[in-house]
Amino acid sequence: MNLVFLPVRRLAELVRAREVSPVALAETFLHRLETLGPRYNAVVTVTRERAMEAARRAEREIAAGRYRGPLHGIPYGAKDLLATAGGIPTTWGAAPLRAQRFEYDATVIRKLDEAGAVLCAKLAMVELAGGMGYRQPHASFTGPGINPRNPDAWSGGSSSGSGSAVAAGLVPFAIGSETWGSILSPAGFCGVAGLRPSYGRVSRHGAMALCWTLDKLGPLCLTADDCGLVLEAIAGPDPADPTTTDRAWRYDDTGTRRDFRFGVLTGVTEGSEDAVRANFERSLDVLRGIGTVEEVELPALPYEAITRTILHVEAASAFEDFIEGGTIAELTAPEDHYAAYARDAILAKDYVKALRLRAVMAREADRVLSRFDALVGPGRVNVAPPLDQEFRSAIGGAAPDVMGAVGNGAGLPAIIVPNGVGDRSLPTSVQFMGRVYEENTILAAARAYGVRP
Amino acid sequence: MPTERGQDADAEVEGLLALIRERYGDRLTPEQLDGVKKGVEGIVKAARALRAVRLENSDEPMQSFVPYRADP
Repeated sequence: MNLVFLPVRRLAELVRAREVSPVALAETFLHRLETLGPRYNAVVTVTRERAMEAARRAEREIAAGRYRGPLHGIPYGAKDLLATAGGIPTTWGAAPLRAQRFEYDATVIRKLDEAGAVLCAKLAMVELAGGMGYRQPHASFTGPGINPRNPDAWSGGSSSGSGSAVAAGLVPFAIGSETWGSILSPAGFCGVAGLRPSYGRVSRHGAMALCWTLDKLGPLCLTADDCGLVLEAIAGPDPADPTTTDRAWRYDDTGTRRDFRFGVLTGVTEGSEDAVRANFERSLDVLRGIGTVEEVELPALPYEAITRTILHVEAASAFEDFIEGGTIAELTAPEDHYAAYARDAILAKDYVKALRLRAVMAREADRVLSRFDALVGPGRVNVAPPLDQEFRSAIGGAAPDVMGAVGNGAGLPAIIVPNGVGDRSLPTSVQFMGRVYEENTILAAARAYGVRP
Repeated sequence: MPTERGQDADAEVEGLLALIRERYGDRLTPEQLDGVKKGVEGIVKAARALRAVRLENSDEPMQSFVPYRADP
């Protein structure tokens, strides 16, 4: 039986029925990680020893009738900014930190352990999660992330390996992180599903801090349904991360609604490539089959400037020693050697203004979203850029991304799923962004969208 | 989108760049300093967009302070 490219839900059925052994599953994906991982620059460390130990434990438990749930015995990979014990390096994608190690597991890793999932690899990422101002794909000591759909294209960032590993069938699911775009970008560019949870839904304890008030951890999977299964395992309050919400969350995979209310921001396709725009129009036609679609406007506010200012200040502070000490000169991307110095130019009064405007932005976004189940838009305005070119970045101020600025600045959940093919045979995508804590609503919408009438 | 009135953006960029040059100039090549200048231009543009929005006195930052006390 070919186990590669089967959704987590299907693999779980096979594991639970003991038709597939967790050890065989781990062997299958470890082999792919070891042999195909280098082709995509997707892997930092294959965690073979830890994986086989976990797989054998899962096999024993399931044989003894102690089935933990749908992730029991399922292999996965984690972005290499999540701390892992046992001498496994956690490099943050940065050459100066190649040998960095922690003596504990991040909460997300611990929760996945408890769910019985099998950590098979630490996955490649853009150095320091892209926080130093990179503008092109060669920004990791493991090399540029290569897109499994087209080897001349980038896999996206900063969760580059999380996107490419799922798309190439190196792991059934992966964990990524997003400060602004780092889950949605690789998922969209590689043609897989990616879920950015609400801020505070998933503990950040043990994850590299880029921006304390913007960082989120979430899954990249083959399907939206799988994203729900994984989120349930990693969500929840954590005393080690006081910003986690006390609201419990269970994945609701029931129901087949056809009465969704979708909003589309005026001008949301501005700056999009032709194929992105055409595929998004086709997506809207599909969505009209499962609900209503209404154009809507947000009030005129400098959304990108608000979120960008907060991001730049927090990142500059989080990596103050790294920047001031000059260690950034050892990073891979030439622009990462100096771009962060510019952030000393942000005045305290302007930063506080951004924080005050953030509250206005959050209120306005919630007011608009309260009328809808989700705002929808193109997942990315373009397909994956070529490996050897600079790209336009909203964080750098070179591209519009109101949904990304509002969604990340206000801590709103979003899911991205493929919606077609664009230039150079690369995938395009559509995103569904919901009110805070409404992951089940956007997951239901994405599932319904995926089940075409 | 409202824009801030008055003030010369170029002068603001030059003033802020002088600070960065003072702090880090000895470790930056002329090409890198050009890159930093582009970054400062973006920061000034964003700051002026933020300043152009008028807020009410009651509009507080979305970052609350919570006093700390260790148990018990």
